[in-house]
Amino acid sequence: MALPELKEFCRPQSAAELSSVFETYADGALFVAGGTFVHGLEARGLLSGVQALVDLRRMGLDTVSADDRGWRVGATVNFTRLGKMPGIDAPAFGALRDALACPPPQIRNMATIGGSIAASVPFFDVPAALLALDAVVITGTGVASRELPLAGVYTGLFTNSLAPGEYISSVFVPRPAARTASAYLKLETNANDLALIGVAVRVTMDASRRISDPRVVLGGGLNATHIRSAAAEAVLKGATASEELFQRAAEAIGTEIKPMSDHRCSAEYRAAMGKVYVRRALQRAIDRLV
Amino acid sequence: MGGADLIGKSVTRPDALDKVTGGRGYPVNVNLPGMLHGKLLRSPYAHARVRRIDTSEAQRLPGVKAILTARDVPQIPFCPVYFVPSDGETLIRDMLILGDHVRFAGQPVAAVAAISEAIAEAALALIDVDYEELPAVFDPEQAMADGAPQLHDGVARNIAKNPSFEFGDVEAGFAEADHIFEGVYQTQRVHTCYMEPRVCVIDCDRDGHFTVHSSMQHIFGLREKLAYALGIDESRVTVMKPPYIGGGFGGKLDMGYIEPLAALLSQKTRRPVRIEQTRYEDFICTTRNPIKMWLKTGVKADGTITARQAKSILDSGAHATHGAQVIMVHGLFGMTFPYRCPNKKWEGFTVYTNNIIGGGYRGYGAPQGCFAVESQIDEICEKLGLDPIEFRIRNALRKGDPHPFNPAWTLNSYGYEEALRRGAERIGWATRKPAGSSSGVRKRGIGVGTQGIWVSGCMGFPDIYEHTGAIVKLNRDGTADVATGTVDIGSGAITALSQIAAAELGIGVDKVRLVSASTDTVPFDAPTHASRVTYSSGLAIKAAAAEAKKRVFEIAAGLLEANPDDLEMIDAQVRVKGSPQSSLALTEVIRVAETPFIKDTLAGPRPSSPPQYKGTIMGSSSLAPPENPSPAAAMFAEVEVDTETGQVKVLRCVYAHDLGRLINPNGAEGQVEGGIQQGLGYALMENLVFDQDNGACLSADFLDYKMPTAVEMPRVIESIFVETNEPSGPFGAKSLSEQCVTVPAAAIAAAVYNAIGVRITELPITPERVLRALGKL
Repeated sequence: MALPELKEFCRPQSAAELSSVFETYADGALFVAGGTFVHGLEARGLLSGVQALVDLRRMGLDTVSADDRGWRVGATVNFTRLGKMPGIDAPAFGALRDALACPPPQIRNMATIGGSIAASVPFFDVPAALLALDAVVITGTGVASRELPLAGVYTGLFTNSLAPGEYISSVFVPRPAARTASAYLKLETNANDLALIGVAVRVTMDASRRISDPRVVLGGGLNATHIRSAAAEAVLKGATASEELFQRAAEAIGTEIKPMSDHRCSAEYRAAMGKVYVRRALQRAIDRLV
Repeated sequence: MGGADLIGKSVTRPDALDKVTGGRGYPVNVNLPGMLHGKLLRSPYAHARVRRIDTSEAQRLPGVKAILTARDVPQIPFCPVYFVPSDGETLIRDMLILGDHVRFAGQPVAAVAAISEAIAEAALALIDVDYEELPAVFDPEQAMADGAPQLHDGVARNIAKNPSFEFGDVEAGFAEADHIFEGVYQTQRVHTCYMEPRVCVIDCDRDGHFTVHSSMQHIFGLREKLAYALGIDESRVTVMKPPYIGGGFGGKLDMGYIEPLAALLSQKTRRPVRIEQTRYEDFICTTRNPIKMWLKTGVKADGTITARQAKSILDSGAHATHGAQVIMVHGLFGMTFPYRCPNKKWEGFTVYTNNIIGGGYRGYGAPQGCFAVESQIDEICEKLGLDPIEFRIRNALRKGDPHPFNPAWTLNSYGYEEALRRGAERIGWATRKPAGSSSGVRKRGIGVGTQGIWVSGCMGFPDIYEHTGAIVKLNRDGTADVATGTVDIGSGAITALSQIAAAELGIGVDKVRLVSASTDTVPFDAPTHASRVTYSSGLAIKAAAAEAKKRVFEIAAGLLEANPDDLEMIDAQVRVKGSPQSSLALTEVIRVAETPFIKDTLAGPRPSSPPQYKGTIMGSSSLAPPENPSPAAAMFAEVEVDTETGQVKVLRCVYAHDLGRLINPNGAEGQVEGGIQQGLGYALMENLVFDQDNGACLSADFLDYKMPTAVEMPRVIESIFVETNEPSGPFGAKSLSEQCVTVPAAAIAAAVYNAIGVRITELPITPERVLRALGKL
């Protein structure tokens, strides 16, 4: 049994209840929502210290609202509902649509936006898209709340900057500028794979094909966490969209990545594919504006 | 319908509704009162001696009922392979239920039974084992080298088996050749990925008799191997036949550690003990053996093969088990038989390593050989500018040729050429472009892979069971109970066998039921393996049904005042041939047979019908099939290769197969599609990966072990069934199952070559391998 210490499955309905669970178990508490990654972790012996699984889905964190600034999506909104978010058909949200099409259908009604972020796994698809969309994470602890950019959440593989007892309550996705498009591409072995490579990009392009405010997000095994490629973004910023430009942007990621080598593929292959996928993702995004 | 017109019809599977509503018949659902749960403690080391085991703390855990270590179990060396007799002279008996010598990471060293799985699991953590680590070897070629760690006493260079054979004069054959081709081919370790885990529930009663429920592919094999390993008489073991199991594909053709341990735990506690493996445990208990093959072929300019020489090194893992059999089938059917060639020489090595043990898997040594042989033929044709279809037909065997396995047999039905030509036409072979000639980033290609000679069972194999039997019993309501030891492993055997029984009897297929059985109640049956069920079990069921029908005719002849030889049964009516008005319902015949001799009427007792008509109408059989007719298969694949990423997508498959006679089209197509799914996985992605430093399995579950999902499957799979009407088969049928898995890797590899002009000789053809072959990494 890979959850040898497990004592309780808790379903708190309020911040106060959650606080009390956390007081009891402290580091032994694991917050979950859809729980779709629990098996993957426990089968690898990564949950041996967990004493309580704390299900956040009864905390009322499942609402979606919109205003002039953007969308606020509750942490326990599942992928199926996220895919029906108003306005998601816009080219700007192409990356999110692409990413939501990646997880296998079997988990889309369970996996949640908050869970996919909090798991802190660079192989996940949806967080890569949200990073390209400048998403902001709103957290709670039961007594306090704070906002931090999604990019500030990750500190390493399976680690993040959330304090003990702090949980994600919602995610804010800002309204994108006009003439903005995004795309996400994943390299996988089969349809229920974690990303060998995941690349999300966002570009805003004027009528003369000049690019502004680009985002290039690299995931999969290109690094221990999802990262933004400042070098690739610098190549793109202010430049005119072309295949040659996208190739240069792709080449630029080389100095920033630290690809992993494992039994699934080598670092060398991941590095090479990162470049191919940056170029292809940029092209895919641009195609959404034409 | 109720007669021979049932053959070739897609009747509904009788087990379909039960399966889609929960499948109560799966052995994993067996639950006996008072049942305990067993768990095995497995060694973290690939090669070690167990110095000492302390179970005292685990014994004290509340709920723990029994613990076994090596000193508690019989130390009888056994071979777990079901279809080989336990006393076979050449059998390699090198396993113990529990011993003090660990030879692979994951080998059990202790077993616990407790009142729950969780307690059993917790107890494992309390067992203290003192290991002495030994040097390990994971590469079979290194294992054969001087100074390599030795796995088994007295086995020089770790070579468990070293078969070889030679026909003709290979040197003369190569001298005769205009061109000589040489290549090295490597295949990987894959798992059958059956859905239902290996599971057993074993109950030892007060008399010491064991009743066994298990998810295995052979009830008689399990009885024999279990009794042998426990050192008891076979009659002390009853293995229940499950209504069906959740897949096997050859992966459940040998006794695991769980059955003898559950039996001994039950014997110790006198309670039923259940052990179910996790997916991780399933992954480390059986695999298709990886084989490295060196292949040299001599060819004349016109494409005639003059000589073939080959060597194969098979990684058998810690024990010989199937590896000792697979190497033979591989050498003969994989490397040698499929093409005419007067001069052939082959040598095989089954080599011990500290890897997991191998097992059966559809194709049993042939997919490895097919990949090498067919890849080299593709290369020969490419280099000599010959058409791969015509080259194969020129060198193939033909109808009427002696069977290469046993020259006393003739290839009486043989549709290799027809399968190849019809498949080629369907895929559009004529439109195939020169290798690597398509432009763009994504390149398309078409390839073919064939296997000319394969089996319909194991008739003629040394030391392998083939006989089988059945009992057919008619009920008063006109239905037939068919009892046989044949386990349906998901392939639709129940359906095809029901059709054969119904067709022979002349009743509707809905009137036939495959009933419960056990090793106590039915004649011996060989396992469900070797593509044998439709042919061998079909023959046995047909014979038993024919005997029952003969009895029907004897009685009906008296009632109709006709000659039994003049009768026929169609749609459950016994009729005088040519005089349909002179007929009798089958139920009426059965009623006569089953009613008491004296009937009590209002007028007093009266004789009902003569005593010689009385008794249950039934037939039985126990027989070996007369021959081992060969099917033939050709698969065509169209692929698209992304030359920037190396990814291969299979767009379309055409699979053509000579199966003698089609019994159930839907069932046959299902076998093809399932086979291609497994073959595609073998070709492109499946690989059980182990840490090369310590032998630990890195593919713990389906997150890391990749098999094709619906998304990776080609959108189009077309089956072409060539019907050559095998004279020795039931209604003309021979086999289908295994070739569907054997040929895809060769076809896909050839298609990849056709697309990009680069040949991959190592499976799986991963994107990274493709990219390296293209020189882009």
